[in-house]
Formats: sequence, C-alpha cells, structure tokens
Amino acid sequence: MKKLIQKILAVCFILTLVSCVEPYALQTNTFEDYLVVEATITNELKQQEVKLSRTYKLEQGAPTLVQGATVQVKDNQGNDYSFTEIGGRYLSNATFKAQPGVSYQLKITTSSGRKYSSNMETLTTENPIQSLTPEVVTRSDGKVGVEMTVKAFDPTNSSKYYRYEFEETYKIIAPLWTGVRPDYIVTPPFPNNPSQPILNPIPYEARICFISKKSNKIILHSTNNLSADDVDFSVQFIEKSDYKIANRYSINVVQYVQNLAAFTYYKTLNEISGSNGVLTQSQPGFIYGNLRCESNPEEKVIGYFEVASVSSKRLFLNYIDVFPGQLQPKYPFKCIQGSDDDLNPNRFENYKNYTFGSPCSDCDGTFLVTAFNAGTISYFNNAFKRYEIYPIQCGDCTSFSSNIRPTFWID
Amino acid sequence: MKKIIYLFMLFSVFLSFSQEEKKYSFDFKNTNLKIAVDEVEKNTSFHFFYDLDWFTESIILINATVNNATLPEVLKAIFEKTVLNFFISENNIIITKNTVIYDKLPVDYFDKKIIPEQINQSVIVEGPILYRDSNENVEKNQKESATLIGKETLNSKKNKFILSGTIKDSRTGETVSNITIKIKNSKINTVTNNQGYYSFEIPSGTNYVEVVSLNHKKSIKKVVLFNDGILNIAIDEKVNLLDEVVLKAKKNERIRSAISGVTSIDIEGIKNIPLVMGERDIFRVAAALPGIKTVGEGSAGYNVRGGKEDQNLILLDNALIYNPAHFFGFFSAVNPFTTKKATVYKGSIPAEFGGRLSSVFDITTKNGDVDTFKGEAGIGPVTSNIAISTPIVKGKSSLLFGGRGTYSGWILRSLKQPRIQNSEASFFDVIAKYNHKFNSNNNFETTFYYSKDAFKISSDSLIKYSNSAISLKYEHTFNSKSKGAIQFTNSQYKYNVDYDNGRINSFDFGFNINETQGIIKMNYLFNPKHKFTYGISSKLYKVNPGFLNPKNNASTLLPVSLEEQKGLESAFFVSDNFKVSDKLLFDFGLRYSIFNSLGASNQKIYQSDVPLNSGTVIETKTFGNNEVFKTYTGFEPRISARYFLTDDFSVKASYDRTYQYIHLLSSNTTQSPTDTWKLSDINTKPQDAQQFSLGFFKNFNKYDLELSIEGYYKTMNNFLDYKVGAQLNLAQNIETQLLQGQGKAYGVEVLLKKEEGRLNGWIGYTYSRTLVKLDSKFNDEKINSGDYFPSNFDKPHDVSIVANYKFTKRYSVSANFVYQTGRPITYPIGAFNLGNAQYTLYSDRNKFRIPDYYRLDIGVNVEGNHKIKKLAHSFWNFSIYNVLGINNPYAIYFVTDSGQIKAYKTSIFAVPIPTITYNFKF
Repeated sequence: MKKLIQKILAVCFILTLVSCVEPYALQTNTFEDYLVVEATITNELKQQEVKLSRTYKLEQGAPTLVQGATVQVKDNQGNDYSFTEIGGRYLSNATFKAQPGVSYQLKITTSSGRKYSSNMETLTTENPIQSLTPEVVTRSDGKVGVEMTVKAFDPTNSSKYYRYEFEETYKIIAPLWTGVRPDYIVTPPFPNNPSQPILNPIPYEARICFISKKSNKIILHSTNNLSADDVDFSVQFIEKSDYKIANRYSINVVQYVQNLAAFTYYKTLNEISGSNGVLTQSQPGFIYGNLRCESNPEEKVIGYFEVASVSSKRLFLNYIDVFPGQLQPKYPFKCIQGSDDDLNPNRFENYKNYTFGSPCSDCDGTFLVTAFNAGTISYFNNAFKRYEIYPIQCGDCTSFSSNIRPTFWID
Repeated sequence: MKKIIYLFMLFSVFLSFSQEEKKYSFDFKNTNLKIAVDEVEKNTSFHFFYDLDWFTESIILINATVNNATLPEVLKAIFEKTVLNFFISENNIIITKNTVIYDKLPVDYFDKKIIPEQINQSVIVEGPILYRDSNENVEKNQKESATLIGKETLNSKKNKFILSGTIKDSRTGETVSNITIKIKNSKINTVTNNQGYYSFEIPSGTNYVEVVSLNHKKSIKKVVLFNDGILNIAIDEKVNLLDEVVLKAKKNERIRSAISGVTSIDIEGIKNIPLVMGERDIFRVAAALPGIKTVGEGSAGYNVRGGKEDQNLILLDNALIYNPAHFFGFFSAVNPFTTKKATVYKGSIPAEFGGRLSSVFDITTKNGDVDTFKGEAGIGPVTSNIAISTPIVKGKSSLLFGGRGTYSGWILRSLKQPRIQNSEASFFDVIAKYNHKFNSNNNFETTFYYSKDAFKISSDSLIKYSNSAISLKYEHTFNSKSKGAIQFTNSQYKYNVDYDNGRINSFDFGFNINETQGIIKMNYLFNPKHKFTYGISSKLYKVNPGFLNPKNNASTLLPVSLEEQKGLESAFFVSDNFKVSDKLLFDFGLRYSIFNSLGASNQKIYQSDVPLNSGTVIETKTFGNNEVFKTYTGFEPRISARYFLTDDFSVKASYDRTYQYIHLLSSNTTQSPTDTWKLSDINTKPQDAQQFSLGFFKNFNKYDLELSIEGYYKTMNNFLDYKVGAQLNLAQNIETQLLQGQGKAYGVEVLLKKEEGRLNGWIGYTYSRTLVKLDSKFNDEKINSGDYFPSNFDKPHDVSIVANYKFTKRYSVSANFVYQTGRPITYPIGAFNLGNAQYTLYSDRNKFRIPDYYRLDIGVNVEGNHKIKKLAHSFWNFSIYNVLGINNPYAIYFVTDSGQIKAYKTSIFAVPIPTITYNFKF
C-alpha cells in the first residue's frame, strides 16, 4: 500500500514539477538586415583577414557574404592597409602585423556607399601558450576522458582575458576495408541470372582518412578572479569512448588575448545564446560592439573589431598512449562482424544472395546491384552467390571523410 | 431594572423642596458606600430609596469630609465618584443609576410629538435625555433591555459622546477584529481594530448599537448614552446563517472608505477556489484580482499596477518577507491556516507604510485561542499543513503554531531514475505567534517566522534559501481617544549555492540581507471629524552582496567577499482621516523618508557624462564605519478622498507618491531565489513613483452585487534595469552594469463581485499597460533606441472569473477561468554567423508576444457534516487544474547549440492536474 501511494504521488509530482520543454518552430516574423563584421588583426605577420556577411532569415540557413566593399585598416602612425576581396574574404594586400602601442581602426565602405568604422583599438599583451597537454580526467558526472589543457603565464598580470579557437583532426581507419569492390554494372531490367560481378581494386585510398573540424563555440577564459595571471584551462574534453581519439588525434589551439570590452562582447553573446535554466532566463537583446555606421548612427552593426595578440600550439595523441591496454572506442557505424547486432531490430542484414527472380523470397540480387551502384554498401566477402556486405563507411572511409592527409600531419 | 422604570413614573408627582436648609457634618474614611448611606440616614430625617445591587456590584469606598454642609452638598460628596445620582423629595432621597431625575419637562417635549415626520432618529435632542420606552424602532424579538452608559451631568451641553469597547466572541472569549458596529438607522459606523477594539462618537440618548459580522449572530444592543463610556459586547458565533449581514459589512467597507485600490482577501473563502496541488494560496488568489499579476504561471514575484517584482512590501505581522515563495514560486510561503487577514494596497498606500513603490501586502496572523486547545490540518499531495493553538495563561495569553512541509524529497528519492533520484527539492515553513493581553489597555504580541527551501537541479549544485522574520508589538490604550503601539521587527533573507563538482574548483557562494526596524505608531481620535495616525519608523539594512569561498585548499579560486552595504531608512508619517460631511471624506497622509548610506564603504566616483565602466573611474572614496556618505530624502504625500454620489454609489480619487531605497538585481524575466538586493548609494539613485487614481464604487443591494471601476496613471523613475547580458552575481562594480529607467503604467480595473447566494464569486477585467524607457547618450546604455517599450509583464488584457455554486450547504462546485494577453518577448529576427557558429539576432526588446494564456480549473468541495457536536470538522476538495489541458507557453527561448539556433518552448502544467486535499479542524 505504501509503495502504491508513493508511486501515485511520484507520478503527480513529476507531472507537475518537471515542466515540459519542447522544440518550437522558428519563424522570422520580421527580418532585419545588418552588416556582420568578423575582423581580428593579430600580431602574426601575415595577410590579415576580414570577413563581411549579412544577417539572414532563420530559415535561410547560411549567410550571404558581402562583396564589393572597400576595407581598410588605418593606424595612428599614418599607415593605411588596404584589403582586397578574394571569394568573399577580404585579405590585406600586404602582409603586416599589429605592433604594440599602435592603435588601429577598421573602415568599411559597402558597395551601396554606406560607411562603417570602428573605435581605435590597440594590441593586447603578448602571452604565448606555454604548453598544450592531454590530461586523463574523471569528471564529476562520472565521465572519463581526456582534456586538452592549455597553460600560459603572464607575469605582468595584464592579459587576463582569453578567447580560444581550435581545429581538431583525427585519423579514421575503415575497419572492414578490403581494397576491392564489385564493378559489374547492370542496369534494369535485370537478366534472370546474370553472372557474378567482377571484383576490382578500389583505385584510391579508402582505408585511412582524416576529419578536420573547427570549434563552433565561443570559448572564453578569464584569470581575473585568480591571484595570478596563470592560465590552466581545458579547451576541449573528449570522452574515452569517442571515436575521435580511437586512432590518432591532433588539435591546434589558437589563443587570442582580449581586452575587457572584446571579452565582454563575446561573453554577452555567449550568455544570451547559451542554454539557461528551465525556469529562469537572461534578458536577450542586441549587443553593441565597437563598430558604428557613420552615415546612420541608429543602424546596428554586428561584430567586434579586435587587435589581439595570438599564439597557437598543436598536439598529437594516440589512444594507446593515453589509455594503454584499453578497448578502442567503437567505430561510429555498424561494422561489427557476427551476430552482435542480432537483437537490434534495425540491424544491418549482412548476408544477401546474388539471385534474381520474381516472386522469390530470398532473392536479393536487385538490392545488391542497386546498392553497389549507389555506393551505399561495401563488399566484404562472398561464398559463391552469398555475399557478406556492410555499410559503405565500413569499407570506404571516403564516404564520410577525406583521404587527403593534412600537411601538418605527423604519424 | 424595573425599579428604574418606576422611578421614571415618579417624576410626575414631584413635590417642591423644603426651604429649610439643615447643615450636617460627616467624615468618611474608606467607608463603604452602603455604610455611608446608612450613616446619613441615621443622622438625618431622610430615607434613601435605592437598589442594593448598585452599591455592591463594585466596592465603592468613600473618602469625604464635609463640615456644615447642606444635604445636597453631603450627597454630592458621597456620590461624586460614582455613576449614581440622587434626587431629594420631601424626606426621601431617591438614588438613580446613570439618569438624573428632572423635575421639569423640556419645553418642547410634547411639541415634538406633534411633528414626528420631521424628526429623524439621528437628530440630536438638545437638553436632557428623557428615556421613553418606545417600541417603534425595535424589532419585537430583540430583548428589550437597555444599557445605560455614563453618568449624566445636569448641565451637559454636549450632545454626542464617545462610545468605545471591545467585541468578544462569547464562546471563545477571543476579541474579534474587523467587525462593523453601527448605529441602527443612521450612517454612523465603525470597525473594530485588530484587538477587537472600537471607538466612535454617537448621539447621546437612546441608540441601537448593531454588531454585524460574517461569522456571528447579529446583535443589537439598546444603549442609553449619557456620557463617554464603554460598551463591551459578547457576540455569538453563528453556524451557517445570515451571510447577508457580512455582505453588508463588506459592501459598506468598499464604498465607505476613502482609500481606493485596496483589496482584502477572505482567507476562509479561498478554500473554495480550485488551486493547483490543493494549496490554499493567498498570493494566487490575490493574482486573480484586477491589478495584481505574475509574469508566468508558477513564478515568484508579483506585478502590481505595472510595478516591478521588487516594489511590493510584503509584511507578515509587520515584518518584511523578502521572498515569500517556495520552489521558484509554485507555492507561497505563507501558511493560510494561520493567516487572519490579508490586505493588498495597490494604490492609496497608507502613510504608515513606505519603502516600496507599488504595493503593500499586509498579512496578519491569527491570535491563538486563549481558552481552548484548537487545531486545523490539511493533507495535500505535495505538502501537509497544520496549525494548532493553545492557551498559555487561560483567558489572557495563547500560542499559535503553524507548520508546513513537503514530502517531495521522499518522493524523489523513491524514483528509480538516477537523474531525478539525485535531484532534491524540499521546503518547509513554520510560524509561531504568542499574544498576551495584560488588560483591556495593554496588549503584547510576538511572531516568529521561518521558511526554508533546498533544491538541486544539476547534480553538482545545491541551492538553499531561507527567510526569517521576527516581530514584537506592544500596544497601549491611553484613553478612549488615543492609543499607541511600539514595534520591533527583524527580517532576514539568505541564499547559498553549494557547488561541488568533485574537483578542486568547488565553491560555496551566497548572499544575505538583514533588516531591523523600530516603529512607534499613535492613533488619536481628535474629534468625530478628525482621526489622526502618526508615528516614526527607522530601519537598518545590512546587505552582504555576495561571497564565494573555495571548498578546497588547493583551489586556485580566490575567495570573494563583496563589501557589506549598510543603510538607514527612517520616516516620519502622519495622516488625518478628515470627515468633512457624511458624504465627503478625506484621508490626508504624509510620509517623509530619509535614507542614509552608511560606511564602511569604498565608493567609486565616475567621470560624469560617460558610460560607467572600469575605465571611467576617477577615484575611489573610502568611508569609515557608520559614516553617512550619501543622504536621500523623499517627500511622500498620500491623499485620497471619497464622495457619496448616492447612498450606494461613491467616487474616490487619490494621489500618492512613494520612494524606494532598495533594489532587486535580477537579470531574469522572472524573480529567482538567487537574485540579490542592493541599497541605494552614490551611484545608484532611489526609485520613486507617483500614482493618480479615480474609482467608482457601486452596490446593487437588490442583487447583492458590487461593482467597481478604477483607473490609474502611474509614473516611475530610476527603477533598475540592466545592460544586455549583465552579470549580476558577485559583480565588483555592479553600477557599471545597471541602467536606471523611467516607466509609465496606466489601466482600468473592473470588478463585479457577488459574495452572497448560491452562486457567488467575481469577474475581474483589467486593461493595463506598462511601458519603460531606457535612454542614454551612449548606445550600450540605451535599449530600443531610447523609446518607450512594453515591460516584461505588460499584459494588456486580463480576465479572471472565479465562481462558486452551492448545491447544498455541504456540496459546492467552483471554477476559475483566466485569460491573459501573452507577455512580451524579445524574438529572434534573424541570424548571423560569427566564428563558425550561428547566432540569433534579436528584435528590439519585448517587440513580440508569446501566445495568449487561457486556463480553466474546476473544483468540488465537500464540507463535513454540520453536527454541532463532533470530533472534527472536515473539508474535502477535489480539483482539476487546467481542465482543458491547454499547453500554455511559459517561455520561448533560443539557444545556439553545436553552432545551430534552436528554439524551445517551456510550459508548466500543460496537462490537467487532479488533486485531492483533505482538511480538518478540531
């Protein structure tokens, strides 16, 4: 009886107190079109880059790049750096690097003649990354994994605000690669009993591939509440079971030292777009950066023109070095041989008969021909007309990644 | 009593005085009156006629020395200090109680009879009061006994006297407050105060004093008033009878008082209203009345006539409660079982209250029963509630205790799901009140209150918060015209976040605020036209704006401890309830408040005319402990007036101004327990508001309906708002994130109420707007180009219907219906890409609205049997909240997740919620 009451009460409680969160169909009720500026001038000697785009409707999915604008960076020493558009990106004509103590201003004139300019900004303190190391940790939620930890130290205690970007690259090894594929192309209507397909070698690298992915979050760190400007910060955490680190993994971390205003801009942007508590939320709104429209001060401009000191570091890691003797993470596709997946109702049916006929209960010939032609399955083995097949990703990694070895890659 | 009537018969056969003036000498020292009279009788040739009871009902000791005095002089000396009068007739001395025997009729005594039409009962008879027994205005079933009050003086020129006294329940002996006392067939009436005391001026002579009350039998006393006097009335409790009488009392209240914008909540009546989780909630009921709103369903904080959540003074026995909400606001933290009365002032805030701009929720706790042990309990699906009262010194003092707790912790732990198993949500509140009545003039009461919440939503942070309040009050009645009270209160609110993720950077973070207040309040009944209330109050605030302590010694986190803020808020207040005529009544109030910011403090001084940020600091000024470094003053007139257009139709107008020196920092749309409070200082100005209101109040007695239409216009200055994405917790220079804005609010509130009959309830409609403006020369201090825009809680249309239908005395059904315009939100109007991720471009603040809100709740109430003798009186309530299962959006929000914008809708109580509650009284 007690148990029953408890259950009833529990149901009542959950019904009421666990409020309901559900996706909501987004729609742009009214759309406002503004200029979006991505411009960070660094102390690295290179062709500096400015990216201009426009805001877009929510259902549109991707922004339109702004073409035909005039972009310039001026400094208070009388230098004037012009930029030229190459495929929607604006690159400085000359290579240059931001100098300490010099102030810079960004000026943009769009093709429609609107003029935009930024505040004068100066280079932030230089504080290079001292080390980037993988550290095996167990998080409070019980997850075990590896953290990519950045260390830096500024004895002048003036850097304080950091923003990070990274690019991860990892090696993929197709587990059921055979190096061959059936090359017998038939077109419907299929002959009643065609001869078996011929196995030809795959003419390109299909076993080892790479995936590169840039960070898509705002990663900020501040040492303001610490006694020293001593950075010890984990930029990325990868769970032990994540295939990313199953073979060899590399990450390149870029650190920008920011000033308070730029840091606040990114922090606010992060804050209002982050996930809040279910019942409490922060007030969203428009965040003003340091860019203004000269011709119409009421016009909103998105973005922040930064002059930041930059530093980057790359690390490589092998799974066996980090988690020696432990089971490798599973390949992210159903490439397990045998009856492992038999209980799964959505299991991939691995054995197909290369037979035809209508009606015929176990004739899979039509399916095999169609799937091989479309490249959705990969060949593994066959015993006469009985074919053992797997999803294409198991035998050909180019189906979801690139077989081009990155130039920085060291095995 | 018969004797008195006989005496009256005697006056027609008076004979003239003897001319002979004999002289006597007497010396009485602590002599009993009876002995003194016997002494006189022995030494003179006179005989006394009297009722022995008059001499023995109280011991009267005579101290008088007369030498060579005439008989009347001797008698005068004897009876001077008594209520007895004497009349000498030949050798007889006739003693009368109260009355004077006249040997002549007033000149116009018989003439008056001739023109009865012109004589109204309330017409004051000049000269002596002749008590004639007439039945013309007394109902036959009323006991024909008259109480004679005061000693008549022969040459009294006064024709009105003050009648005062205490109303007690005859069964419990408890004093009864809020009872209307009126003089039958006149407009003279008054209401008992919290101690059951009343006082009013009535014409001399015969009056029928009528006591009308909801829970008591109607009582009429015939009173013959000769002078100022006391009439204590014991009234009998009534069990299900005569609801009409109550309505009359309330109706009068609504149209009679000068102040408008005031709502009294009937605590007993709210049990019939269907409520979620069976919780009887005073605040939810308040929110069903026009002008009081919450931002969302189940959210804490109230918006009264366009005011922000922090602008409400929520008082429990005069002690402030900072966060009277449990579990984010799903439940209120005030126990309905121990609550006697809740009054909400939306406008015309009496001058004695101050420190908040928009409203006062004045909640009074019941006094315990001084004679018997009593209790009441309620069992609901989430909480249980109990209230018990016990006498301490029988007939004089009692203790009332109320407690409420939830078993949600037990429920959550019993669940198999680990995510829920590890979460925690528990709360409780307790209240104790002790009252001691020393005598009819001295009364003491004290209340202690404590509420606590603890909840854990993610596995690593435990949030706890608590309110505590203590109040002490001593009341003294100096005389029938003046009385005073001295009060001390202390209130505290604190919260604590225990963040423990198992790593070295775990921390403990918290906030607390403490205020201590002293008030002296005096009431003075100057004359029938002027009633004064005046006093002083002073409040000391101590705010600890936040601290953070690392939990691990190896932590690299620096402990943070923000500087304590201290302030002293003092006020002087006076108000005059000025009755110009029967039709016109004014309430002139004035409050003058002073706020002193006290050290120790380090105050940043910023460059003028630039946005405040860490770069524009000119200097930091340091102030010593208790040094006054900034003083603000507020002149707060509170004026209201009432005019009767007809007997049941009044118009009221008011103007009031209010100041507020403490601000809630909250960057969320709704109030959250982890919001902090901040005192005004050099960089943060006090908020102020002024409100004009006009209302029409009409009673349709024939249909037992009361209708009111009230309109208001309000302006506000310097309320706090925040820059986009402001970080308010543990912020060192909080002023750099604050904006102080202007606001205006206006609206019309219509309320049609029927409290009697099988079908009762109310229909309320409000049209209201609240607009705010945040303008500055600088873009990042400007919201929506510096134009007026709707505030977060601007919901123009609001309809609420509360109805109850009684099938029999025991069975009733009730329903609530609510419709509200959706509240404003800031909606995405596009997206942009920055650094590989997609972000939302938001519209101007609050440019769009979430869909409108509808809800219907129904309930069935079953009262236990009405046998007088039974163990306990029980009451069952079955209710279904949100019967239609409408999935009302609570919030719509947008997040950037893995570089993609996603929109989510939160709703609370999206399905019908059935509840059973069982309450019983013993």
